[in-house]
Amino acid sequence: MDLDAAIVGIGTTEQGEIPGKSANEIAAMAIDLALRDAGLTKDDVDGLITCRNLHNREGIDEQVGHLLGLNPEFSATLDYGTGNFSLHLGVMALLAGLASTIVLTYGTNQRSLRTNFGTAVGGGADLKTTAGLVHVAGPAAMAFRRHQHLYGTTEEQLGWVAVAQREWAQLNPAAIFRKPLSIEEYLAMDYLVEPLRRPDLTMISDGGAALILTTRERARDLRKTPVHVKAIAEQTALRADQNPDNLMRPWLGDVAKRLWSSSGLTPQDVDALYIQDATSVWVLQMLEWFGFCRVGEGGPFLAEGHTRPGGSLPVNTHGGQLSESYMWGWLHLCEAVRQLRGECGERQVPGVEVALDCSSHDFLKGAASLLSTH
Amino acid sequence: MTYSLPLPDVSDPATREFWQAARDSRLLLERCSACGVVRWPPSPLCPECWSDSYDRVDVRPTGTLWSYAVYHKAMSPAFKDAVPYVVAAVQLDDGPLMFGTATSEQGTFGHIAQLQIGDRMEADFDHVTTETTLIRWRRADGDAVEEPRS
Repeated sequence: MDLDAAIVGIGTTEQGEIPGKSANEIAAMAIDLALRDAGLTKDDVDGLITCRNLHNREGIDEQVGHLLGLNPEFSATLDYGTGNFSLHLGVMALLAGLASTIVLTYGTNQRSLRTNFGTAVGGGADLKTTAGLVHVAGPAAMAFRRHQHLYGTTEEQLGWVAVAQREWAQLNPAAIFRKPLSIEEYLAMDYLVEPLRRPDLTMISDGGAALILTTRERARDLRKTPVHVKAIAEQTALRADQNPDNLMRPWLGDVAKRLWSSSGLTPQDVDALYIQDATSVWVLQMLEWFGFCRVGEGGPFLAEGHTRPGGSLPVNTHGGQLSESYMWGWLHLCEAVRQLRGECGERQVPGVEVALDCSSHDFLKGAASLLSTH
Repeated sequence: MTYSLPLPDVSDPATREFWQAARDSRLLLERCSACGVVRWPPSPLCPECWSDSYDRVDVRPTGTLWSYAVYHKAMSPAFKDAVPYVVAAVQLDDGPLMFGTATSEQGTFGHIAQLQIGDRMEADFDHVTTETTLIRWRRADGDAVEEPRS
C-alpha cells in the first residue's frame, strides 16, 4: 500500500566551501530554493524538520525556525542527518496529521569549520581511541577485509565503486570531484587505512539541501511532477558491537526485507539506486543486503560494470559522497527526485520510474525509501 | 620516554576497575549475576536480562582475530607520529569483541604487525605510564581458526 506522501520540492545550495555562512543560514538557503522549486511560499509551511550538526549545536529546529520567522504546527530535529531518517519522520508527521506541508533540511559548514572526523565511531570509545581506531575508515577497512576473507573480494572490485561514481560525477556540473579516475589510477594510490584508499572515503564539504513533503492531493496542484514515497523501512542495531558481525551490518537485510514486502516490489523494479556512501564499503554491503546481488557476490557485480553510466543498475548517478559532495545522504534523495522528474540532462537515466534510496547511520541504524512517479 | 598518544580516563567510575586490573595484566569484565552473560563495554544494566546486579570476572586474555585495519595515514592528528600501525578486532574466547592496537616483536606503532583473519590472539599488557596499562593484541602460538568460505 502506497503512503500518502509526496516530495514536491527540492533545493540544493552550492556545495564545497561556503565561507562566512553558519550551518543555519545554509539550511535556510536550501529551504528557500526548495520552496521556489515547489512554487510555494513561507506561508504554506506548517512543518519543519532539521538536522543537528555533528560537532556543534547548530541546525536545531528552534534556531532554524527562528531564523526563518516560522511558527510551524510541528517541528523536530534529528541529531543524525542521513536524509532517509528525516524523510521518514516527515512521512509520519504527515500521516498523523501533525502538518500538511513539511520542509526538511540539513545545512552544514563542516568544511569551513575544519571539523575533525578523526574520532572513534560507536561505543567503547576509550578503548577505540587509545587503540587509534579513529575515523569511520578504520571499522570500514575491517569490514572490507573481512569481506575479502570470507568471499575472496578484491581491492580492484571494490575500486569500481569509486571509479563508477567518478564517471557519473563527470556528468554532474555540481559535483566537486570531477577529475577522471581510472581503475589503474585507483589501484596505484596509497592506502589511507589499508585496504582503503582516498577515493573510498567521503569528502568533507559545506552545503545545504532541503525537501518539501506534502499529501498526494496537495501535490497534484503544484508545479513539479510529484515524487511519491511508496514505502519506507528502518532497522536499528543499537546493541552495536554486541551484535554478531556488527561491522558487516547484516541488519540492513532486515530493512530490505520489510521494504520489499510492504511495497510488493523487488530489486528488479528499481531503475536507479542510491546508497549513502560514507565509504565505498557501504555500497558493496548494501548492494548485497538489499538483494541486488547475493551476499558475497558484490565484488564481481561491481567489476561487471552494472553500476556505471550505461550499466543495468545505475548507482549514485550524482557521484555520491565520494565525488559530488558530503551531505549525509541528502543529495542522494535530491538526485533520486531529479532523476524521477527527468531533470538530469547528460546523466539522465532513461525511463526512471522507481528509485531506491538506502542509508545508514554508522553501525547503529539503517533506513530506506522507495520513490516513484506513480 | 613519555607516552604521547591518547590515554584513557582511568578514574572513570565505569571503567576504573577494568584499568586497575590491566595494570596487573588481567582482563576484567563485567558479568551479569542473574544470567551470567559477560559484557563489554561496561554498563549499569545487563543488555540481555536487564538485571542491575553484576560482578567482575577475570576472562581469558585470548581470542580469535575477527578482522584488522592497517593505518598508513593518521586519521586523527593525535596519531600523526604513530603511523603505520594496525588495529585488531578480537573476538574473545569468553564472548565480547574488543579492539586494540596489534603488536609484534618489532613493536606497536611505526610498524605493521603481520596478521591474518582467524589468527589466535592474546592480550599484551602494555604498561605505558605508571597509572595506565593499555591492552594490545599479538598473534599467539597455535593454528589459525579457519573460517568457512561461502
